[in-house]
Amino acid sequence: MTWEAELEELRARVELVHGMGGPEGIERQRKRGKLTVRERIQLLADPGSFRQFGTLRGAAEYDENGALASFTPRGQVDGTALIDGRKIVFMAGDFTVRGGASDGHHGGLGEELSASQRALEWRLPYVRLIDAAGGSVRSFETLGRTYLPDANSFTHTDIALLDTVPVASVVLGAAAGIGALHASLAHWNVMVDGSSQVFPGGPPVVKAALGIDIDKEELGGAQIHTRRSGVVDNVAATEEDAIAQCRRFLSYLPSSVYELPPRLAPSDEADRRDPELASIIPRDPRRGYSARNLIRHVVDLDSFFEIAPDYGQARITGLARIDGYSVGVMANNPMHRGGATDVAAGSKALRLLQLCDAFHLPLIDLADEPGLMVGIESELAGIERAGARLVCAVVDSRMPWVTVVIRRLYGVGGQTHHRSSGMYRRYAWPSANWGSMHIAGGAAAAYRREIEESDDPESTRAAIEERLRRVTSPFRTAEATGQDIIDPRETRPLLVEFVHDAQRVLASQVGPPAMRFRP
Amino acid sequence: MIVQVRAEMPATVWKVLVAAGDSVLAGSELLVLESMKMEIPVESPCDGVVEAVHIAHGDALEERHLMIELRRVG
Repeated sequence: MTWEAELEELRARVELVHGMGGPEGIERQRKRGKLTVRERIQLLADPGSFRQFGTLRGAAEYDENGALASFTPRGQVDGTALIDGRKIVFMAGDFTVRGGASDGHHGGLGEELSASQRALEWRLPYVRLIDAAGGSVRSFETLGRTYLPDANSFTHTDIALLDTVPVASVVLGAAAGIGALHASLAHWNVMVDGSSQVFPGGPPVVKAALGIDIDKEELGGAQIHTRRSGVVDNVAATEEDAIAQCRRFLSYLPSSVYELPPRLAPSDEADRRDPELASIIPRDPRRGYSARNLIRHVVDLDSFFEIAPDYGQARITGLARIDGYSVGVMANNPMHRGGATDVAAGSKALRLLQLCDAFHLPLIDLADEPGLMVGIESELAGIERAGARLVCAVVDSRMPWVTVVIRRLYGVGGQTHHRSSGMYRRYAWPSANWGSMHIAGGAAAAYRREIEESDDPESTRAAIEERLRRVTSPFRTAEATGQDIIDPRETRPLLVEFVHDAQRVLASQVGPPAMRFRP
Repeated sequence: MIVQVRAEMPATVWKVLVAAGDSVLAGSELLVLESMKMEIPVESPCDGVVEAVHIAHGDALEERHLMIELRRVG
């Protein structure tokens, strides 16, 4: 063999890379109950499909004869893999190497493309497995100087990715600084309960800045971010679960905005008419129902993947399949704040609209909308501007959209379930009622003088409300506007028909989205 | 172990269905809230015994208000 010595060096160097941060670092990682970067990649990739690039990068020292004396791999593994047979690009932080601290930019002349640039140019989905500490002041000592924070060229790529390919961030450790940014610059993200956190600065930084003692879980754990801040969409019980959720999320999406989502062999009957749909809505308007059950009755069996289930719970959002085609789904949840759109629920709806528009998913909207959330808490959260942002997204979107009015459709919140342009269809169930505002409360405002001047204000108000209620039958609207009212059991067959028709329109919409995706 | 049941949303207390000392099963209804004109049942997160009830009919609650404390059983 002519090149035996070089081939032996290549083999030896790859072996050093596979050794990650060394036995001690790996042992510490395991003691934290965490997997190594290479174990994680095995979970992400279809068997045998992982191919690393930039493999030989690292920090080397040489002896006086120019022979390799020591080698530390880079704290990040970049590569490609297949997920359900489709290629993706990923970066994966390796905490066993210097705690995954970003070691600055060692490249320079002749440097190979980064993983993110490759994902952008190859038009492949981009996955981040984040387990890194962000920058460290140690790097100041190594450099012998500090540097100005800059919106470097990598950042441009990260933003361009959002309008080009699906981006998913899986948080598998404490993500601070740039790690926290990368956790958020994604179409979807997930974190592991108890072992991952997200913050611009961790507990020591909080202590220095605010004098407050707080542990990292209380500061930026899953309970904070998947339930209260909404910074992270989904929570996972384990690292295996987080990576499985990531694979599932990507399964609904095309490889890039230049393609349509893959269609799977339908797993369900297209003309399934579940009899429960005719009785799922209680006659008593004060009684709720399970909107998640409602979704399951109309989409393909076991196909619903919920996004951000614990945040903004008044709106349920997610991805599903209808006759094998990928769709976005949203439904008001009457069991939380009556299903009213508060700032959190509105931001979930907005993100789903952007996702559907970017990746050519028809939107299925099961509306039971009492309106934008009222009350001082909602005012302080900025409900009007949140509503305005949602209205903008509705108008700017262009993916095919079908709304089924299940029960209530009121006010400006109700308006956000309708688009007056493009392929849009609306059906209503016989249980539906609607208006620019609710009769209770609305009557008290509009007929105030009549009520106040009456001898018996209470019965006058009740009489006015009853009079108004008689005109709220959806059939009266249908007479005048042609609004189609359907047997609820027909919902799934009609949605199947809509999603088939939508493919023609979607085929003409491939390419960059009209509405840019914003996290 | 004490399990705290807190309001997940601003709401008014419509019906309180348990009292201190009652045994409850996971999933059984502890109380019914009213929010945005809807009745919202609140279910027990675990099997247990009601340790304390901190709310009464008609109370207006803020989000995360402590409503009931349970002593987990099993």
